[in-house]
Amino acid sequence: MKSNMTRRNFLAGTGGVAAGITALGATPSKVFAGENTVKIGFLAALTGDAAGWGLPGLYGVEIWAEQVNAAGGIEMGGDKYRVEIISYDDEFDAIKATVGAKKLIFEDEVSIVLMLGITPVQAVKDFMTRNKMIVTTLVPTDISADAPYLFALSEVHPFYNVTAVDWIGRNMPNIKTAAIATQNDELGLSSQATYRAAFEVAGIEVIEENLFGFEVTDFAPVVSKLIAANPDVITWDTAYPDYVNLLTEQAYLQGYKGTIVNCTLDQYEHILGKTSKDFMEGFLWQFPDLDDPIMQGGDTHFDNAAAFYKTYSERYPGAWTAVSWEYAASLEMWKTAVGKAGTFDPPTVSDALRGLSPVPHAFGDAEWWGESFFGINSAALGKWPVVQMQNGKAVIVEMGDVRAWMDKHGDVLIKHFKALGVPTSA
Amino acid sequence: MFSRAGRNSAGIAVLLAVVCILPFIVRPYQLDFLIFMFINIILVVSYRLIAITGEFSLSHAVIMGVGGYASALLTLHLPISAWISMPLGGVAAALIAYILSFPLFRMKGFYFLIGSFAAAEAIRLCWVQFINPFGGYRGLRQIPVLEIDLGDFLYIDLGAPVPYYFFALIVGLIFLVIMYRIEHSRFGFVFHAVHHKDMLAQSVGVNARRYRTIAFVTGGFFAGIAGAMVAHYITAINPGLFGLKQMLFILVWVLVGGLGSFAGPILGVVVLSIIDESIRGLNELRPAFYGLILIITMLFLPDGLVSLPDKVMQGVNWLRKREDGDAPNRE
Amino acid sequence: MTDLELILQTIINSLIFSSFNALFAVGLVLIFGIMQVVNFAHGAIYMVGAFSTWYLYSENGVPFFVAIILSTLLCAALGLFMERVLFRPMRGNLFGGLIVSVGMLFILEVLSVYLFGQGLMKNITPYFRESWHVFGIESITVAHSRLLVFAVATFILGGFWLFMTRTRLGWAMKACAQNPEAAALQGISIGKISMLAMVISAAMAGAGGAVMAPLVRITPHMGSPVLITAFIIMIVGGMGSIEGALIAAFAYSFFHTFVTTYIGGEIATILGLVLMLMFLIVKPTGLMGERESV
Repeated sequence: MKSNMTRRNFLAGTGGVAAGITALGATPSKVFAGENTVKIGFLAALTGDAAGWGLPGLYGVEIWAEQVNAAGGIEMGGDKYRVEIISYDDEFDAIKATVGAKKLIFEDEVSIVLMLGITPVQAVKDFMTRNKMIVTTLVPTDISADAPYLFALSEVHPFYNVTAVDWIGRNMPNIKTAAIATQNDELGLSSQATYRAAFEVAGIEVIEENLFGFEVTDFAPVVSKLIAANPDVITWDTAYPDYVNLLTEQAYLQGYKGTIVNCTLDQYEHILGKTSKDFMEGFLWQFPDLDDPIMQGGDTHFDNAAAFYKTYSERYPGAWTAVSWEYAASLEMWKTAVGKAGTFDPPTVSDALRGLSPVPHAFGDAEWWGESFFGINSAALGKWPVVQMQNGKAVIVEMGDVRAWMDKHGDVLIKHFKALGVPTSA
Repeated sequence: MFSRAGRNSAGIAVLLAVVCILPFIVRPYQLDFLIFMFINIILVVSYRLIAITGEFSLSHAVIMGVGGYASALLTLHLPISAWISMPLGGVAAALIAYILSFPLFRMKGFYFLIGSFAAAEAIRLCWVQFINPFGGYRGLRQIPVLEIDLGDFLYIDLGAPVPYYFFALIVGLIFLVIMYRIEHSRFGFVFHAVHHKDMLAQSVGVNARRYRTIAFVTGGFFAGIAGAMVAHYITAINPGLFGLKQMLFILVWVLVGGLGSFAGPILGVVVLSIIDESIRGLNELRPAFYGLILIITMLFLPDGLVSLPDKVMQGVNWLRKREDGDAPNRE
Repeated sequence: MTDLELILQTIINSLIFSSFNALFAVGLVLIFGIMQVVNFAHGAIYMVGAFSTWYLYSENGVPFFVAIILSTLLCAALGLFMERVLFRPMRGNLFGGLIVSVGMLFILEVLSVYLFGQGLMKNITPYFRESWHVFGIESITVAHSRLLVFAVATFILGGFWLFMTRTRLGWAMKACAQNPEAAALQGISIGKISMLAMVISAAMAGAGGAVMAPLVRITPHMGSPVLITAFIIMIVGGMGSIEGALIAAFAYSFFHTFVTTYIGGEIATILGLVLMLMFLIVKPTGLMGERESV
């Protein structure tokens, strides 16, 4: 009697699948009637722990689309096309990314998919290649020879980190020892390898290293140990921007006197407020202000960088991060390739992208690179700024040449990549 | 009685027909959604097998991962077909579950819950730490798919959605039947018994711990195969797929669906997955809506979604009775 | 910095970390003891405390100490709401309580994203800018905002201890935790005690969030790692045992801080889990626990 009852409930429940499934497809999407539209897929985390790497990027991409649409849209073959962004929350999960990739390609018929990188990209890589879909990643170590449509367009982390250390080697000869602390994930490890290589090339000895996990609440012990080793320079590598904030504050509170070099220094006005102008003087990192005069110059390629930054910070106060503009910067380059190709067809646009020389990177002209590391030239590598804190303001002290460094010392970096298990095909 | 049985078989036939036609009418990504739903059904039903013995574990997602990793590594490094490696993945998962059962079943209740979480998390962190062979944080990629290769006679690439859908459907149905039979066998009877009356079961000579271990290992076997099914379909696997979040969802599906009956967890997976997918348009607000549904279900249907028809019938009966009661007064 | 100085610095780091962990874990343990609810939203309440301190102090210029008190009160009110609406109907349903608290966790996290945006952490410029050089030694420092964490945690836990040992209500609460049925027979209203316990527990998490706010990343998910640590402490200490939780909080924090300093942060977490497991194998009911739950 009881089992019959449950079995019937079971039937009633599963019978609803069909109804539910058909409802799935009914989610309305914004359609611009009577206009040509090109769709762009955004497949990154909008919820959960990794949302900080996705959601601010979606905001940026939407502002970029608005700006492009306000200017009449993308021109292709004499027609104007409105840009429409379609997002799918992959929750930084391989399964959700698989489902989302299929939806974006087959259902929405997007022309490019923007992704964050690492595990979701690993999961959909082969599928995307089979379907000849252009995918951009913010993590170049995702690139491999078997994925010809996967590009690292705007972000070439961790390679550009060598420029600031290189600058130290040439300009601060009294620096002899270094200490490294960062979080133990792919971002941190690949960055750790890069700093190790850059320090080695610059003749600086690494005397202390500390890897921490994500559950760290209190950074005091991590910093105590580092400072105890008395290094001339400390780096937090590519620790998450929030960690950089807290680690730097700890270094200040615990009386550190040396130099700090780092990948990012997001919202440095906050860090200035927590420490002091004196303490922060000379801090080196890799990301200029987007409204920096150099960013508006003729050598860089990010249309309306200042206007983009202004709209963004007005609409989403406090949400500005590096990824806010990096997804959009990738689209900027894709747009150029579309203009060249005269079509939105992904494989053709991909060929046009590869044909660009120089590659119009946000920080200036770049070239395709990556063969020696990944077996394929799919990363846009060129110059990258070295930024220094001077009197409480970010100043670009040099446009470092990442490519030249790689040509000269690439083998040192490959050695350290291998030692830390960072994927390369070399 | 006869007519009810008849109705049931008719219902099953209709359901089977619908499920067989579905892949040809839904869109490709919805097909993937259904495939993962079938895999999750195996997962929750195998979880229930353990839970009916009275112990809730938080290691099921990682045990599932053990199966996935084992099967993936076997096919990647040895000339073994996925047809062989998948059951071996299940065996590996069962083996790990067996090893874990020694320390874990010394604990009970909430100690067991958190103890199983710690043990599982330690295994998961090993996948992150040991890049060789597990691929670290990034995991493994290019895991071979299943194939049916009978030479010129027949070749089916099970990596494609429609064939894999039917594969997942058939495997899922077979497993459901097996697990249903286990629950209604002598073993299943004892499983229930050790839950309700630990001491009594002991006193009539039943070794509660032994039966819990059997349930834990059996559930682990099915979970391991579910993990292998994920690995050989998306052809990639990483530690992030088996974290606390995935485990929490298994628990939520089982409890919101209703632990009390075989159909409950299945209902939980189906209903909650469909709701979750259909509110994707909410973007970053989606988890709140989901949370609200969890709360409302638990407050109004503490026995789970599966008790909804009963509740509705009670309500209807109550109304009817009241009307009947009112009727004489009106006359 | 000499070796001895590093050891002293690490002991001080450990003490401060311990005091917060104890404050947070005792709230969690209290709720489990009285209501048999595993509150997955406890970390989210801590998050609310931190967010509201940031919002009041940094965004609206409310004086720092007023902001801390208001945030604590807000969290206490949140606790009251959760007890009345969510946990009371779930009494005696261990996993029902767990599921509704997970639901609440989702809602609170999304609420903070919705209200304050998802971006970098919310930044608080500390109210205290100074550091104390311990015993006058130049290289051993502890920031005043860290001392505040220690002071507030000690004050609240001390007050709670007095309340539990010296007042009638405290005795009633203890009776409820030990044996609810017997307590009910004594005429103690379990409903009232539960409500009070939940208010105290939420206020502890909220005050913890408020004083930690200038020191940690204020993000919607900031509660999860803290909660996992608290679960470990709760288990090692013995379910529902407040004394056990206190001892375990100190033991775990010292262990974790020393391993982080001398070996590495990631390894500290793995070792922590393995040690807990080994401890449970030897003593499956925790340090102070005798009761087997469920």
